[in-house]
Amino acid sequence: MPRQHHDHDGADEHAHAGISEPERPGYYEIMETAVRELLIEKRLISADEIRRQIEVLDSRTPALGAKVVARAWVDPDFRARLLANGRAACEEFGISFYDDTSLIVLENIDQVHNLIVCTLCSCYPRPVLGLPPDWYKLKPYRARAVSEPRVVLAEFGTIIPNDVEVRVHDLTAVVRYLVLPKRPAGTEHYSEEELAALVTRDAMIGVIPVTIDKGTVAP
Amino acid sequence: MTRTEDLVRRLPNDIGGLPAEPIQQVDHQLEPWEKRCHALADVLDFHKIINTEEKRCGVEALGAEVIGKLTYYERWIVAFTNILFRKGILTPTELALKMEEVDVRYSDQG
Repeated sequence: MPRQHHDHDGADEHAHAGISEPERPGYYEIMETAVRELLIEKRLISADEIRRQIEVLDSRTPALGAKVVARAWVDPDFRARLLANGRAACEEFGISFYDDTSLIVLENIDQVHNLIVCTLCSCYPRPVLGLPPDWYKLKPYRARAVSEPRVVLAEFGTIIPNDVEVRVHDLTAVVRYLVLPKRPAGTEHYSEEELAALVTRDAMIGVIPVTIDKGTVAP
Repeated sequence: MTRTEDLVRRLPNDIGGLPAEPIQQVDHQLEPWEKRCHALADVLDFHKIINTEEKRCGVEALGAEVIGKLTYYERWIVAFTNILFRKGILTPTELALKMEEVDVRYSDQG
């Protein structure tokens, strides 16, 4: 959803800008700057806090979640703690929770495949995965994941056999979910680091499995 | 007969289970202002000025047309301003004057 979207409502006043000029900030960017500066002037927030939070956001990527998954695969005790209390186990692992959310980790097993969605908006396990992809925040996924998850999964190339139950979990502002994918066969001799390299963001959302060839073809 | 009850039964955010298009696996790198907007949301939440649920409700209160036409972070910043007005933390005049100032500053820099 890049900038050209502004043109819809004529809110972008900068259409007159020549093509050689750098793009000037749009209406909403000016609004963001104005709100932030006013709140800083009123000492309700500080510029430092914003800067630090940007650093926190930048530090959160699916690679963190992948490390958690790999540890759970190689360490049964950690896996048990992770399934008992996702947040506590992640914190023990060194991942801080900057938001006031709990984390429930959903284990994919032979009989059950889990999928996460936020039908109302865009809640997501941000401390462990970073920010969600755009498709996760858009209507098609939010609307359909709960009513026809197998069809949605098929659009990601994931075919779930009919004898496997599909469970869809709808996140809220305070309860977040993370899928613990199945460890792929043939990885018995992989190191924890090698395992983590196989785990993708989409596998932890639950739309694809973890595969040795990392997401090219679903089983 | 117009089916106005459909407008009442589901608020704009409540789309779970509705029919919709096939999923296009789209994504984009956040623009710097979008990332600042996200950080602002988090900091407002830390200070209990606007929490996540208030933000979601604030977006919903924008109504279906605005939700449909604005991008994700455009909706957020507009929702924040409305909530801050309602809480008496900012006034519309204050914001308008500051936006003019910021616009002029950006123009001078440009």
